Amino acid sequence: MDRKTYRKQIIISVALFGFSLFYFLSTLHLKMGTPRNMGPGFVPAMLGVLLLASTAFHLIRVYRALPSGEETERSPEEAKNYWAVAGILVCTAAFPLILETVKFIGSTFIVGFAMLLLWKPRNLLFSFLLSLGMAVGCFLLFSRFFGVALPSGFLEQLLFRIGA
Amino acid sequence: MWEITQGLLSGFDAALTPLYLFYALAGTILGTITGVLPGLGPLGAMAILLSFTLKMDATAAMILFAGIYYGAMYGGSTTSILLNIPGEAASVVTCIDGYQMSQKGRAGAALAVAAVSSFIAGTISILGLTVVALYLSDIALRFGPSEFLAIGVCGLMFLIRMTGGSLLQSLIMTLIGMALGTVGIDFLTGAERFTYGINELGQGIEFLPVAMGIFGIAEVLLSVQGKEVPKSARKVRLRELLPTRKEWKRSIPSMFRGSFMGFFMGLVPGPSPIIATFVSYFTEKRLSKHPEEFGRGAIEAVAGPEAANNAAVGGAYVPLFALGIPFTPAMAMVLGALMLHGLTPGPNLMKEKADLFWIVIASMYIGNFMLIVLNLPLVNVFVNILRVPQRTLMPIIVLLCLIGVYSVNASLLDLLLLAIFGFIGYVLRRAGFQVAPLILALVIGPMIETSLRQALKISGGNLAEVVFRPICLSMYVATLLCFTVPLVLKWIRHR
Repeated sequence: MDRKTYRKQIIISVALFGFSLFYFLSTLHLKMGTPRNMGPGFVPAMLGVLLLASTAFHLIRVYRALPSGEETERSPEEAKNYWAVAGILVCTAAFPLILETVKFIGSTFIVGFAMLLLWKPRNLLFSFLLSLGMAVGCFLLFSRFFGVALPSGFLEQLLFRIGA
Repeated sequence: MWEITQGLLSGFDAALTPLYLFYALAGTILGTITGVLPGLGPLGAMAILLSFTLKMDATAAMILFAGIYYGAMYGGSTTSILLNIPGEAASVVTCIDGYQMSQKGRAGAALAVAAVSSFIAGTISILGLTVVALYLSDIALRFGPSEFLAIGVCGLMFLIRMTGGSLLQSLIMTLIGMALGTVGIDFLTGAERFTYGINELGQGIEFLPVAMGIFGIAEVLLSVQGKEVPKSARKVRLRELLPTRKEWKRSIPSMFRGSFMGFFMGLVPGPSPIIATFVSYFTEKRLSKHPEEFGRGAIEAVAGPEAANNAAVGGAYVPLFALGIPFTPAMAMVLGALMLHGLTPGPNLMKEKADLFWIVIASMYIGNFMLIVLNLPLVNVFVNILRVPQRTLMPIIVLLCLIGVYSVNASLLDLLLLAIFGFIGYVLRRAGFQVAPLILALVIGPMIETSLRQALKISGGNLAEVVFRPICLSMYVATLLCFTVPLVLKWIRHR
């Protein structure tokens, strides 16, 4: 394991231990009850203890496995990919935030187009048309075919009015 | 026997209606496509389509998912043989000799043998599923909370053992899955747990955003990291698809061995189709008269593993139908689809909704037949799917995940959970964690808690009474042996 991997493993182990600690402390607010009449907190507390023990053991194990070898340099291509991953995650998280305001077609188009851009498109016009097609196609598929009530605004009403 | 015949006939009667035939066809085609595309396996496809099934009836959803699962197992072999690219993990073994056969100009024969193996294995495993599930569900009707607790606990322990990778990491994933399963209103006392004032969390963390995030979004994020390589394969002509008499003679016993082996391995919790292919490969190598040909294009090495991975699918359905417990992540998806329709699989469902069980069984036969009839002539079409660039495909998958999750509950929280679990799945998978136990524990965890609390209430808080029941004890002992025997063997070898 090189230094970079070691650091990543440590961060993940600490995060897992942090989650376990948070979960265990949260269970303390719940009623425990008795083994015969278990309260809502009995099983979560048991799980919390097991989680704490196992993540602590994992953290110690990762910490003791000392890194060997030098840190490898991240290639420009790799760095670019990390940005793309972050971008897709932002798009995924942004979708629920803009859905109610920009409505379905607008938000689907924005998120779809942004993601296509992140994948380094060969043709910008093609990406634009594809994301527009996806937004309209998904709207028709879900609202008409599957009967899902999607947030509708001017564009959606217009589509219904022209008989789509 | 009469019950089986009657059930099957009524199942075929319903499954041969145009609507169910359409879903069987759609499932097999979608499954084959996902099997062909590297990265997007049956799990990803099921996760994406889970929300779509809400608008279908439960039977149609089951038929679609069965088709996807079978189709993916078969589709994976096509790219393994022609391009040396395993469409999904269960096809890795097929790459070894399948691609070598392709290099020697026997791609058609390898594809035909893979298709026939899949068909035979599918048929045998469906027969096994019919008989074993019926028999097991009769027994399971007599099970109480203690037995269901034992099945749940032992199932998860087996899964931790069989998943591969670090045992500790798998244990942590299982415990996190179970912890997530405790979120929401407690079913016995009505108390809120871990909701932190968010009303929507009272219903608990839904299976759908977690599964779609971990298997759908995370898969897309991982694919960004990988480099896309241009794929091109030689066209296979129809007349090339016929194996020689010698090839048939060598592959038929392997098909049957692989089928039986795969079916029984499918009954074990864990990634059974993958394990079954490896076990079958090494068994065939040991039994072969020409072991030196293995790795250089031995037909048995295609027939056996291909039969094994298909048969394992049928085997995996047994615990779900008979006991209501999914032993593989794909079965957790099937369970999720049933639960979306308000159905809880298990022995009661098999009695009360027998028609659903028989239609699904009949559709599996039909789907299997469709696979062999459609996929061999269309092999070149499916290979061409690989030419669709990832930059077009992946954003579509993300959008389908987003809209799919939203369409179930129209919940913005579900969408946020999808993004969060997509990120968590990506980070954990990059760090080498197996995420399948998390998903299964999320599904099985609440059942374990319910069974434990009910069992202890009945026994008056006496844990010994819960553990030392004949069926429970034998299951706990088997699980203990599964963990200790390898350690003892290792210790003996060291000495």
